[in-house]
Amino acid sequence: MTATKGIEFGRLTLRDGLDLAISIEEEARDRYRDFAEQLTLHRTVEAANFFSRMARIEEIHRSRLAERRQALFPGEVSREIRAQVFDVEAPEFDAVRVFMSVEQALKTALAAEEKAYDFFARAIPQLENAEVRALFTELRDEEVEHQALVKQEMARLSGDPSANAEAYGDDPVAQ
Amino acid sequence: MSDDLILGMAGSGGDGVVSAGESLLAAASSEGYHAMMTKSFGSQIRGGESSCRVRVSCRRILNPGGVLDVAVALNWEDFFRFGAELPLGSSTLVIHEEKAGPPPETPATRPLSRALIFSVPITEMAKKAAGTDKAKTSVVLGLVSGWLGIPKEALLRGLKKKFGGKGQGLFEANERALASGFEYAQTHPLAEPRVLSRPAAATGPKLLCDGNDMCAAGAIFSGVEFFGGYPITPSTEVMQILSRELLQHGGVVLQAEDEISGIGAALGASYAGRKSMTATSGPGMSLKTEILGLATIAELPLVILNVQRGGPSTGIPTKPEQADLFQAAFSAHGDVVRPVLAPTTVADTFSTTVEAFNLAERYQTPVIILSDQEIAQRKETVDLIDTSRFTLERRLVPTGAELDGYQRFRLTESGISPLSHPGMAGGNYLGAGIEHNEHGDPTASGAMHERMNEKRFKKLEPLKQRKDLFEVLGNGNAPYALVSWGSTAGVTREAFELARARGLDVKLFVPTLVYPVAEQVYQDFFASVRAGLVVELSYQGQLYRILRMFVDVPKGVIPFARSGANPFQPTEVLEKLTELTRAES
Amino acid sequence: MDLEAKPAPNRTPLQPKDYKSDLKPIWCPGCGDFGVLQALYRALSAIGREPHEIAFISGIGCSSRIPGYTTAYGFNSVHGRALPIAQGVKLARPELLVVVAGGDGDGFSIGGGHVAHAIRRNIDLTYLVMDNQVYGLTKGQLSPTAPKGLHTVTSPFGSLEEPINPLLYVLAYGAGFVAQATPADMPGMAALIEEALRYPGFSFVNIQSPCVTFGEEEQQLRAHKAKMKPLASLGHDAANQLAALDLARAYGKELYTGVFYRNPAPPPTYDALVQARQAELIKTRRPRERALDAYLQK
Repeated sequence: MTATKGIEFGRLTLRDGLDLAISIEEEARDRYRDFAEQLTLHRTVEAANFFSRMARIEEIHRSRLAERRQALFPGEVSREIRAQVFDVEAPEFDAVRVFMSVEQALKTALAAEEKAYDFFARAIPQLENAEVRALFTELRDEEVEHQALVKQEMARLSGDPSANAEAYGDDPVAQ
Repeated sequence: MSDDLILGMAGSGGDGVVSAGESLLAAASSEGYHAMMTKSFGSQIRGGESSCRVRVSCRRILNPGGVLDVAVALNWEDFFRFGAELPLGSSTLVIHEEKAGPPPETPATRPLSRALIFSVPITEMAKKAAGTDKAKTSVVLGLVSGWLGIPKEALLRGLKKKFGGKGQGLFEANERALASGFEYAQTHPLAEPRVLSRPAAATGPKLLCDGNDMCAAGAIFSGVEFFGGYPITPSTEVMQILSRELLQHGGVVLQAEDEISGIGAALGASYAGRKSMTATSGPGMSLKTEILGLATIAELPLVILNVQRGGPSTGIPTKPEQADLFQAAFSAHGDVVRPVLAPTTVADTFSTTVEAFNLAERYQTPVIILSDQEIAQRKETVDLIDTSRFTLERRLVPTGAELDGYQRFRLTESGISPLSHPGMAGGNYLGAGIEHNEHGDPTASGAMHERMNEKRFKKLEPLKQRKDLFEVLGNGNAPYALVSWGSTAGVTREAFELARARGLDVKLFVPTLVYPVAEQVYQDFFASVRAGLVVELSYQGQLYRILRMFVDVPKGVIPFARSGANPFQPTEVLEKLTELTRAES
Repeated sequence: MDLEAKPAPNRTPLQPKDYKSDLKPIWCPGCGDFGVLQALYRALSAIGREPHEIAFISGIGCSSRIPGYTTAYGFNSVHGRALPIAQGVKLARPELLVVVAGGDGDGFSIGGGHVAHAIRRNIDLTYLVMDNQVYGLTKGQLSPTAPKGLHTVTSPFGSLEEPINPLLYVLAYGAGFVAQATPADMPGMAALIEEALRYPGFSFVNIQSPCVTFGEEEQQLRAHKAKMKPLASLGHDAANQLAALDLARAYGKELYTGVFYRNPAPPPTYDALVQARQAELIKTRRPRERALDAYLQK
């Protein structure tokens, strides 16, 4: 479930909007990192590597936005808005499985990008500040680009034999 | 004139036999005698057969003794229910209720001398003096005063305590009953006087208490801050005393919903940095075993009192036995070791408890105090204890530097790693029952597991050098030996004195630390020994078996062991030892 | 109780990541407990207690691993005994924030006997149960909350037992705060955990946290999203204990989320009452060194 809590879109300033966008990217980055760690621990290496790449990409988005913010509002303390963001662009935490294939991982990323697109698209009409509206429009459109990239990867990969890793894996072990 | 007297009395619960015994005990004690009392009853909560034994002496008393000097029977049926606990002999003075008739002919009464049997109209005297036959035991106290020389005033103090608060008239009535018994004794003097000698010059104030009292006092003195437990005979008194006493010291007592919850809460309190204890008996120890193991691997201090009773399972809740030693030493799955300390007297239950807390804190381990029903519930005079000689220890906590990248289970030289607790900044760690590395992270590594086991065992090694936890008496080169522990040690100490008086070259060994086994201390003791006895109250002779595991016990040292609820007598031990030395030479 | 300790001067407010430890969870990817962990980080940061002032006690089971994944003082103890141990911790140091966690088996099977007593003592702690209707750590056996007829490795022909109803159990014993949550609603769950932590007294949150390895399809988060019904949307008044009991009866059939019951007038906690007694008795205390005086013969 994508959500934010307690954010009044009508009242968002540009600085708030940037903070929100940064938090969204940060959340996504941390979630992908988490996934990469979990899947590494569970020996699902290819999907883990994919999620590591996604984490790096999200970090690039985040730092670009952070630089912009720093340039526009140097030295201003950001509102800790991260606690109000819930899986906007971050894939939901149960979107991974042990032995998942790269194809499944790509589907996870795609769903996350689509979610993010919907979020920005729905938010835009509520925004009253023109600059924020411009920012969110930009971010929405970027999501479309990201989705396209992911779809390209998926097309390259169809028919990947590792899709049946589940069938080859050992039974669960009691602890 | 004798300087030592054992009186045994039996009747039914409604007669107040035990209260009378307590009055006698208190009276003797206030007169400067050494005194000791044990009680025994049937399985009814109230009103079943009831008995007590009171031993009064001018000398220090080592054990409740054997054959009665004075036997009081309010009826024979109840008296005989106690069998070997109230043994009769040829010099036993028997006082029985007239209506009960003379002692029936049985193997138990065969040794009696006719001349020493007195039929006394106790019930009639009670009715006449106090208006009720229930005042029987007050009459008996009067007889005791008259015939044995215990001052009336002292006995009356006991009566005052029992009846004082229960409405005017009750005390006075019993006072009259006592007076009538006293008068009877004056008008019916004994052919051979049995008056007890006066004790030597006033010995000053003494304590009057039992082993459970001393454990509770020792715990309070040691700074116990949390008690979690569950009622179980014969340990419940400790929880009850602490319930009253601990709050004023800022401590907490939780009577939990079961044994496991009791030790669980106590362990939680220790995890939170508090000195903590629980108390139970055999069945409770069995339930607590899992958490005992948890405390061991989590390396948390915890004091556990086990007041041993007849086992296994429900066993015999009201009688002593020493058959929980295997459990104390070995129970809990995995490789576990924990200190087990056994008090041998009411008095040393205090010091043993203080030692237990110190060891628990120093070595970050559960420590079991292995008492038994006899010591725990035997009320006696105890010389004042000089508490200034005790030092109290607290767990090693991490210093500022150690809190930087704190490793809770750091593999130190001694095996002891500083222990933090919630509330201490920087000391955050994950405690767990799972095997762990130095930081506390779960591990399945065999190598780390080996090192952690080594840590947990190694840290206790210094205990084996603690000569002060062993009592060794007698000639160091003696070829004969007596080894004993717990309440049986009191019997064996007397047997040792008797043996030496007979000229036997015997030495005595009484461990307070029964586990881990201090191999070298035992080897040194056994070096000169050709034959001897390990005297203990368990069917398997558990200490003997454990010694055989760790020590080269000389072939001639054999177990003298039997099931509980049937304590040894000093003469028995002496006879067995003598037999052994004869066979050997 | 003053839950929100003031942060030290110059100390920035604690963030969810300040409660995240370095230990990597062993949970299967996709496990509902990951969601619980996230929600817990948020709830703790909203309250703002320092990690070293939090004691997090658990039993044994997959969900019981959770303390190790936080920076609080943790104690992963033995199966079913988290509540007694936690009560010992809280009574020993009442100023700590004490959280207890475990699964449905740990809490309501082997640990079942302890729940009633923890509730009636009303010691100030919060009990989070991750309810997945299965014994995950040991490979999928029947658990006490599993529906009748469920096929598991220990019920190959279908379970013959009615499940325990943890909500009804806890409500019936008079707990002052009872809620149910699911990671399918993360903001909701974070808010409920926070509310439970703040409640002054014994508080309970049953969290439907699916097992992706042994759980059934109907138990997974996708199904939760379709099924869940917030109690608020039903017009439920959380101060109405009888209404709460009635709604709780639907456990297993309906997935109600939110607060079933919150006592509008929480009674003093056991720990507070003990502290009051201590304060009173300390005034007339005899020093510990004189403990033996009680036995001086009169």
